[in-house]
Amino acid sequence: MRKTLDRLLAFVCGASALFVCALLLGLVAVIWQRGSPALSWHFLTEQIRQVGAQGGIFYNLVGTTILIVSAIAICAPIAVGLALVERIFLRSAPARRALTIFLYTLNGLPSIVFGIFGFVVFVKWCGWGKSWLTGGILLAAMILPTVTIALIERIKALPRQYVEAAAGLGLSESQIIWAVILPQSWSGLLTGSLLGLARAAGETAPIMFTATIFAGATLPHGIKDNPVLSLPYHIFVLAQDSFDPSVGAKLWGAALVLLGLVLLLSLIALPSRLKMHEEANV
Amino acid sequence: MKKPMSELCVQPALTATAPVMAVRSLSVQAGTRVLLRNVHFDVQRGQVFGIIGPSGAGKSTLLRALNRLTDLIPGLRVSGDVHLHGKSIYAPGIDANTLRARIGMLFQQPVIFPVSVTENVLFGAKRLRRIGNGERHELVERALREVALWEEVKDRLHAPALALSVGQQQRLCLARALAVRPDIILMDEPTSALDPKSTQAIEDLIVRLKEHHTIVLVTHNVRQARRVTDWLACICMRDGVGEIVESACCDAVLDTPQCRDVIDYLEHAN
Repeated sequence: MRKTLDRLLAFVCGASALFVCALLLGLVAVIWQRGSPALSWHFLTEQIRQVGAQGGIFYNLVGTTILIVSAIAICAPIAVGLALVERIFLRSAPARRALTIFLYTLNGLPSIVFGIFGFVVFVKWCGWGKSWLTGGILLAAMILPTVTIALIERIKALPRQYVEAAAGLGLSESQIIWAVILPQSWSGLLTGSLLGLARAAGETAPIMFTATIFAGATLPHGIKDNPVLSLPYHIFVLAQDSFDPSVGAKLWGAALVLLGLVLLLSLIALPSRLKMHEEANV
Repeated sequence: MKKPMSELCVQPALTATAPVMAVRSLSVQAGTRVLLRNVHFDVQRGQVFGIIGPSGAGKSTLLRALNRLTDLIPGLRVSGDVHLHGKSIYAPGIDANTLRARIGMLFQQPVIFPVSVTENVLFGAKRLRRIGNGERHELVERALREVALWEEVKDRLHAPALALSVGQQQRLCLARALAVRPDIILMDEPTSALDPKSTQAIEDLIVRLKEHHTIVLVTHNVRQARRVTDWLACICMRDGVGEIVESACCDAVLDTPQCRDVIDYLEHAN
């Protein structure tokens, strides 16, 4: 009887694992099968024509890149500051716990809430209209917990002897931060950022009424009323309106490019993540 | 009444100046637990002052209280006082960082930063004072020669320092501390992670550095204490608290142990 139960448990676990793998592989396979015919050099380098039925996604790629680059540029310094506050400047355990709870709560906020918030504050109250910068700020806020927590974990893993040795030489706290802690925490910042960006790149809700439009934008020239095109919003709009088979092919093509972009970001983060695990196991 | 053992020793010449470091009624507490009680000793200029005792008796804690590295450990409370050149290091207004720059420290395990040999030597010095490019090279060479490492690493000054052997790394740490030009060097069992040959090299260095530096050396190695220290304090556990039970010239402590704790400890160690 117990043996049967053991086998049953092993079977259920194995089946769950298989199911997850099949789901991911099936998803990728479907997107690849439907999207690959649309892929071509022109698809990547031409701009949108005839409401998405013709042309390519060049400015959508550019727009998404602008959004994630500005997100990381805004997020990184804040994440470094927060991680230092948690690890070094906060001395009491309750205060540290409060900060961590705050970060996890922020991480749990639905992305549409960020969108509404950005719409009220930046689009309306600041009067920016739709702007790439609003998108960057909102995406930065969304990935802030991921980046900060990765950085905190990295700093936690730093051997205490480094700090003690530097202090023993007579370096001040800020010198220790610049000379020892930050240079050794780069990998944490990098990993957290890439994982955060992989998620931010695919978000539609925060940017759809704050930062991006479907057609008619190229490179931004300022902040106010300067939206960009983006991949996820492009997919969103085409998916609502894809009775035309030629639009359908373009839609799957755009989805495949987005998937590739996200996969690429995750893959770049992989070596430094593996290294972190190795160090943690030593 | 029994004579204190230090009377058996040749006292430092009367012309000698005031002690470089004077420890007065020093106690260290972690929360409610007392780690060290009523520690009292003087370190004279040019002396190798040894502190010997069993593991867990608070030797490392004592050493960290001498340059206020105890400040970095939350919950640790130090009472009593330590005077450096006659001035209290715990007095209000004393900057702990400036103080630590004057008191070099060598740890049990060599702590090498993941940068080149040169950058490791300059790690503290270049951040504490302005050093010109020409002076940099000179400083690196002098510090590395002082620790007898120059000949071994002069061809790979810009290679990662982590590639050096552990013994070389420990000497590099010493060079890094010397480059800051400290008055006193604290060493916390600096050879416990090293093989016999590297240990010998470090011990030779200690004897040589004595000419220009004052050294406080924590060790649990009787042979090492006999070989390099001039004055020795023995630290033992009494009711779970570390105390200095005997402080005298090295031979007096090691050869005529009158204190039961010392004898027990030495027998155990041999």
